[in-house]
Amino acid sequence: MSFTLSKVLLEQIHTHAAASYPEEGAGFVLGRLEGEERVGLALHLAPNLREQAARARRYLLDPREFLRAEQAAEAKGLELIAIFHSHPDHPNVPSEFDREWALPWFSYLITSVRDGQATETRSWRLADARIQFVEEPIILKE
Amino acid sequence: MATLHIPTPLRPYAGGQRQIEVGAANVDAALQELVAAHPDLKKHLFTEEGELRRFVNVFVNDENSRDFNGGATAIQPGDTVLILPSIAGGKGKPASTKLSKVDHAALRTNQAFIIGLSLAAFIANVPLLAGLVSLAMLLGALVVRPAFGFVYSGFFKPLGLLDPEVLADNPEPHRFAQGFGALVLLAGFAALLAGNAGLGWALVWLVIGLAALNLFAGFCAGCAVYYWLNRLGAPGFAKAAPQGTFPGMRPRAS
Repeated sequence: MSFTLSKVLLEQIHTHAAASYPEEGAGFVLGRLEGEERVGLALHLAPNLREQAARARRYLLDPREFLRAEQAAEAKGLELIAIFHSHPDHPNVPSEFDREWALPWFSYLITSVRDGQATETRSWRLADARIQFVEEPIILKE
Repeated sequence: MATLHIPTPLRPYAGGQRQIEVGAANVDAALQELVAAHPDLKKHLFTEEGELRRFVNVFVNDENSRDFNGGATAIQPGDTVLILPSIAGGKGKPASTKLSKVDHAALRTNQAFIIGLSLAAFIANVPLLAGLVSLAMLLGALVVRPAFGFVYSGFFKPLGLLDPEVLADNPEPHRFAQGFGALVLLAGFAALLAGNAGLGWALVWLVIGLAALNLFAGFCAGCAVYYWLNRLGAPGFAKAAPQGTFPGMRPRAS
């Protein structure tokens, strides 16, 4: 169980997280499945639909955007494999709120942003019992 | 029949299918039909109370049934029904992760007592004290507690002398480290009993040194050995070091 992505793609995620600061930014990752391993290859950005006052702590993506992301993946011969989002001035571990709303199977990439700078991203998957997240190592490629 | 589209993350729980045909006349009945065919989906679509999870939306021909009659929204033969999740989340109280919570204040108290008592044994030339410390550590490793952690939880913490330092960490390597230290100290005690003072006190000092390294520099040598064995795939060493943490180093506060 691991999540592989290029440094360029991680950089794009970090740029999006920093640009969204102090609000939470989020989007979809399209990629390929290689057994239990996942390879992220492209992003599908999406607007945070929460009301402005809540955006520093919450994100919400439109279900229609989900459909567009899934269709974009299929058009490229890829799969929708992950959701990325940022935690401004907060650790990159999933919250209780993340767990409540989490879909199974997806990888959840969480980026910590400190003072406007994206610092680090970690990847998590919801365990099937829905009780806890399991971290998966991120493998960076050139 | 209508076509019910299953979103990517739910397909593994539906035999990998992208869509199924349903004969149901409304949204509720269609979901029940889906769950009856694929019971593994139930806990992801419904709460334990049987309510539709908040992130689950069912669209009938491009309209969200939540905006219409909810579960009673009608489905006609030939309709396209899509399960489309709202994706949401945000920061806050951490959810449970495979990493446990480890109170490093208890570990540090333990290290301080191991160092203090072993030093006292050396200075006063009382091998029995080193032997007792090793037995306490061995017992601690067996009951999965820091041997002298009770001093922290019974006195230092309630009296406010020491603040908890709860970090996301694996408890197993610390248990292994304590057991490992206990055996080295026990070997030292045995050497002292056998009259080999040089070897005996050297082993006692090894334990003092490694405990001090942990207490003052935050590096747990026994944990590093544990993680090294994990990398080698040794059975029983299931946990890897927390990501972003050098194996054996104290994890950063989160």
